[in-house]
Amino acid sequence: MGYCSILEWIFFRPWDSIKESGYCPYSDYNLPYMIGLRLSEIILGFIGWLINIFVPSWSPENSFLLSPALLNGTAVVLEVVIIFAVGFIINLTMIWEERKILGRTMDRRATMIGPLGYFQCLGDGLKTFCKENIAPRAIDKKVYWWALSLVIGSSVLIACMVPLSDRWYIVNYDAGLMVIFGLFALAPFLILSAGWAQNNKYSLIGGMRAAELMISYEVPMLIMLATTCLMAETYTIGGIVKAQFDTVWYIVPQCLGFFVFLVAAIAESERVPFDLSEAEAELVEGWQTEYAGMKWGLIMLGDYFRGYTACAFIVILYLGGWMLPGLGCTPVPELVFIGKVCLVFAIFAIARGAYPRVRTDQILNIGWKVLMPLALVNLAFVIVLKTVGWF
Amino acid sequence: MPYKFLNKYPKKFRGTGIIVPFGMAVKRMIKSTIHRPVTIMYPYEKEWVPDNYRGRPGLRFEKCLGCGICVRACPTTCIELVDVTDDKGNTVKRPQVNIGRCMMCGYCAEYCPVDAMTTTTDYELAEFNRKDLIYDPHRLAFEGTNEMMEVHISEHLLSNLAKGITDKPVAFFETDRPVLDDTKCISCQKCAKVCPTSAITMVVVGTNAKGREIKHPIIESSKCVSCENCVINCPKAALKIKEVL
Repeated sequence: MGYCSILEWIFFRPWDSIKESGYCPYSDYNLPYMIGLRLSEIILGFIGWLINIFVPSWSPENSFLLSPALLNGTAVVLEVVIIFAVGFIINLTMIWEERKILGRTMDRRATMIGPLGYFQCLGDGLKTFCKENIAPRAIDKKVYWWALSLVIGSSVLIACMVPLSDRWYIVNYDAGLMVIFGLFALAPFLILSAGWAQNNKYSLIGGMRAAELMISYEVPMLIMLATTCLMAETYTIGGIVKAQFDTVWYIVPQCLGFFVFLVAAIAESERVPFDLSEAEAELVEGWQTEYAGMKWGLIMLGDYFRGYTACAFIVILYLGGWMLPGLGCTPVPELVFIGKVCLVFAIFAIARGAYPRVRTDQILNIGWKVLMPLALVNLAFVIVLKTVGWF
Repeated sequence: MPYKFLNKYPKKFRGTGIIVPFGMAVKRMIKSTIHRPVTIMYPYEKEWVPDNYRGRPGLRFEKCLGCGICVRACPTTCIELVDVTDDKGNTVKRPQVNIGRCMMCGYCAEYCPVDAMTTTTDYELAEFNRKDLIYDPHRLAFEGTNEMMEVHISEHLLSNLAKGITDKPVAFFETDRPVLDDTKCISCQKCAKVCPTSAITMVVVGTNAKGREIKHPIIESSKCVSCENCVINCPKAALKIKEVL
């Protein structure tokens, strides 16, 4: 017993021994969990080594710091942080991308701070963070705060539940698509209640418009989801991606469906031209009118998280997910996935620069008279394909 | 129908009209990505400014005669003749400009007979108080003044331009000069005193009934710049500008 070298404190355990320890929540190799585990091994080992300098009886063998239970617990916490941080960075990249594309479509410069203007979003975040936290007096306080936190929370939750590859996920659901879309469709209810709670006519109109928007696009979108699941014969995200690698990207047989899903996804993430509930020009930010300062900043961040989820689902359902045709899983499937998401988001951003906002009376027509028949035609086509046995 | 551009498509295919604005946006995006946007980041980079840009007026102190044509030409009356000391210690009259009132028309530079007034390329003129907006003659000097900053009166007859003649119509033997009405002159010599170029000399033309000399101004045409100071200051209106028609 005595002083132990730092190398005896910090050492990396192989994946098999971790799996056998019984504390690991994953049966397959999981990259963010492994990064979290390595980080916790380094951090806890370093703390143990520091203590060992002063307390020589404290050795790697009998220290609870290096016990598998504590290591795994820390690893899971760090994994969650890593997954959120990566989602956050993707989000910042997408905001930067959108602002750049909007600037170019309007023939002007866009963001300026930092390399290629990348740090502008951070500056804006800091600015909104420094603002005073104001809430009106005549609000329904409980609903006001809960609706806000749930809108932001559900947006971030679904964004973090999107797997970046078959080794980068939090939980591998059997019905992953169903769960994520169930949470995705939660926001309009919360927006409606937030609009009601603010005691403001603009907010109320905004919330009602969100509900109207949901009635019109949700059904064709779910039909498209069912069509793709029918084609891949599975509800798991990994299964859909693998089915596309085995045959072709589903954008080829389902180009009609891709278009319908694209429009519905723009509407789902409440972006221009379907930003009826915000409608800055008519409704002064709609349901967000009374949410000032950092509350608004977080709502905007949540909007972009929803936009990211919508793009991610277009990539998963139609563009082959993290796989490339012929190459399969490249060494960095996560980067392939993020690259595809950014390409799809470019379409979103150009659409924002190109189209005027849809009127409230037009949105139902678009949803039920255009998107719905197209979705059904696509479903029928897929059923024919499955019957013939080509897929 | 809110989207008028859809009218040129057959009614069946109007749904495809959503492609047109998308294509326009993509085209504009690609163009401005290759050729850079038209906007510039102003405080950090500035647009190129030609030498004959109509910025604030500038003054070449040594060239100026102090004749005051600029004061009379200024539409906003922002120019004032003030007494300043020059390098030799003499007190001379030079224009002082209130930039807060100046509208950068460049008339002062255009009418200056010796091209001492110029326009400059200086356009960032914001100050913290009104007093700083008044540019005294020494402050009006602009470093790097060149001949492109001079503004010349260039009048052309349209009929000449149509014939392809671009030369300025100049009368070689006569220009606008003050002429004297002998009967009104009272020999007061005021015109000679106010002449900035000392082009006027008083000449004895005779004696009156009391035996005093009668002096009449003789105007030296090569020195005269037609500033009208003598015409304005004549107490009996004996001088007037004779225009060459």
